[in-house]
Amino acid sequence: MKRILDAAIKLSLFALIFSASPLLAQNNKPAKIKAAALQVEMIKSDEIKLPAEFQVALYENLIRQLEKKGFSHVYRDGDHNAASVADLVVLHSTVRGFKAGSERARQVTTVTGATSIMIHCQFTKPDGTSLLEQDVKGKVRFFGGNLKATYDFAKKAARVANENFSTPGHE
Amino acid sequence: MTFRSITVLVGIASLFAGLALPVARGQQAPGPVKVVQLTGLAGVKDNAKGTLSVENGQLHFVRGKASSDVNATSIQDVVTGADSQRAVGGTIGLMSMAAPYGGGRVLSLFRTKTDTLTVFYRDADGGVHGAIFTMAVGTADGIKKQLVAQGAHTTAPADSTPAATSPSKEQKQ
Repeated sequence: MKRILDAAIKLSLFALIFSASPLLAQNNKPAKIKAAALQVEMIKSDEIKLPAEFQVALYENLIRQLEKKGFSHVYRDGDHNAASVADLVVLHSTVRGFKAGSERARQVTTVTGATSIMIHCQFTKPDGTSLLEQDVKGKVRFFGGNLKATYDFAKKAARVANENFSTPGHE
Repeated sequence: MTFRSITVLVGIASLFAGLALPVARGQQAPGPVKVVQLTGLAGVKDNAKGTLSVENGQLHFVRGKASSDVNATSIQDVVTGADSQRAVGGTIGLMSMAAPYGGGRVLSLFRTKTDTLTVFYRDADGGVHGAIFTMAVGTADGIKKQLVAQGAHTTAPADSTPAATSPSKEQKQ
């Protein structure tokens, strides 16, 4: 009888520990940084030559994906209205790697011709103080044109922003 | 003798006409040009087909009854490039991938060349926008020249060929 009681106590202890661990993990997660609005700077590619259409597609897709993630105020590079916003976060994106790839090679061989772009994303305060830095990669391996890599990057970068920043009404 | 000289004359005329034709094709596009707007124009869906023209200092995109204008003076940069797209695309192109014996892959080898026109412009608040268009070969440079003539800025030389501005000949959406 005592053995059964001991086993029951042990089992309930294990159950408690296992059920508490996700809660503990959530508590360990760093708190989101408050951002009233985001301003997206134009993609920079000083060191690596990036075709203009890629630069535009990266920028436009990034703004669109951030808006989709719930950031209600996403300002473009140079927008005068952003200057008066408190808790503004500025996103600087610099191209660190680019492989043009080939849609034809992808479709004919399946395994070659991947397009990939590596971009260093830096979230800063308006005064330049860094809040978060991360490299984000966009790629297209099988289906779709080369510019689809820009969509892949934008989705991932927007996810990073969503995980680390909170806007009013969107925690 | 007369017949022979007429034949020679016609031959010479044909030769000159043949030489002049590619030059004329390279300088075309004063009127509306059929384009695909890949992304970037405010109020226009991605991959929208329409016509593009430069009128009264405006870059004018028309799709059906809807239209979108960009003031030429607000354009910060115009860049042309070369591109290519699948000759057989869309749903049929996708379905062809399932064709037996690699038939779909063979179709992928056939591609048509296109020009791309990329435009950077500012809105009324000063925010930067970018728009990408694809169009028939030889038409992007004409639109670029018209835009520059009407006040648009460009960082690339005016007489650069589309192929020279793009590192890859095969870049599509």
